[in-house]
Amino acid sequence: MLSALRTAGAVGTRRLASTQAIASNSEAPKGIATTGTPFLNPSSKAEYALARLDDVLNLAQRGSIWPLTFGLACCAVEMMHFAAPRYDMDRYGVVFRASPRQADLIFVAGTVTNKMAPALRRIYDQMPEAKWVISMGSCANGGGYYHYAYSVLRGCDRVIPVDIYVPGCPPTAEALLYGVLQLQKKIKRKREAQLWYRR
Amino acid sequence: MSLKAWLGIDKIQKFGQMVKEIGGVKAVLKKRYLMDATRVGTLVGSDNFGNRYYENNAYFVPRNRWVEFPDKVWLDYDATQVPPEWHSWLHHITDDAPSVKPPPTQDWVLEHKENTSIYADKKYVPYSTTRTKIQGWQPGEKPQFD
Repeated sequence: MLSALRTAGAVGTRRLASTQAIASNSEAPKGIATTGTPFLNPSSKAEYALARLDDVLNLAQRGSIWPLTFGLACCAVEMMHFAAPRYDMDRYGVVFRASPRQADLIFVAGTVTNKMAPALRRIYDQMPEAKWVISMGSCANGGGYYHYAYSVLRGCDRVIPVDIYVPGCPPTAEALLYGVLQLQKKIKRKREAQLWYRR
Repeated sequence: MSLKAWLGIDKIQKFGQMVKEIGGVKAVLKKRYLMDATRVGTLVGSDNFGNRYYENNAYFVPRNRWVEFPDKVWLDYDATQVPPEWHSWLHHITDDAPSVKPPPTQDWVLEHKENTSIYADKKYVPYSTTRTKIQGWQPGEKPQFD
């Protein structure tokens, strides 16, 4: 019995190895993978359907991330450069909104002081669900230059959950752009519908 | 101005030429799907990640150099998949491509790696290199009192 299992296992691994070899040889993805979806191994038909629903949801969400400007210091200038024609965030569907109730994303750009921390938390709570946070610059990431100051929050992740940390002092507009693209990649792998089904 | 240029037929001919160079309508559609552009240029070089670098000076300066990522990354391309020596060429920091004039390198230079920090299994997790000042109690261990 055991030996039979062992041989079955050996066959299984051999087949796995051969499929991997084929996967590495054939460069371009095939079938549903050509759409760029990360959900390729559904366990059932229902999960397959919900994975496609997730794909559509994620496509819509990452195609129109509307950020809230939360410019607190010099990082805000770089954030403005990101909005200006050279880096042109509008081409990624990223458009500044002045109201937290209409925003999906908040750029925490600059030093968060203790006095500002409750306001930041309140603004974050006012944003509707499916919301993300990009912490921009050393000060927002971990206090930065003002880490040991008496009046500064040591990183905005002490009050709100952060998705992407953009390092730099200040980060370039390119770096912030890259952060937004990373966030888009992150949204692409969000499993909202599939997790609802799992529950 | 010739009649052809006046009627805009030369543009159509140019487009037909580009389609031919890319390799047919299907290849053009694939290229547009992957890089949102129909561009042809001369192959300047490639790196060991499989990226290919092109140049066409008919386009104006920031657009005349570009990278085409290998098919295996498909839509998951990323700016950090370009190694630094080719980055400098793409952004016109250098005139000569690293395939023509390789930049000086040192033994201690690490091999370029893509940024994988958003993937939970591949991201960098910081760790302490100093000894802890307190020792934790392990379950089942006899409590020691002085």
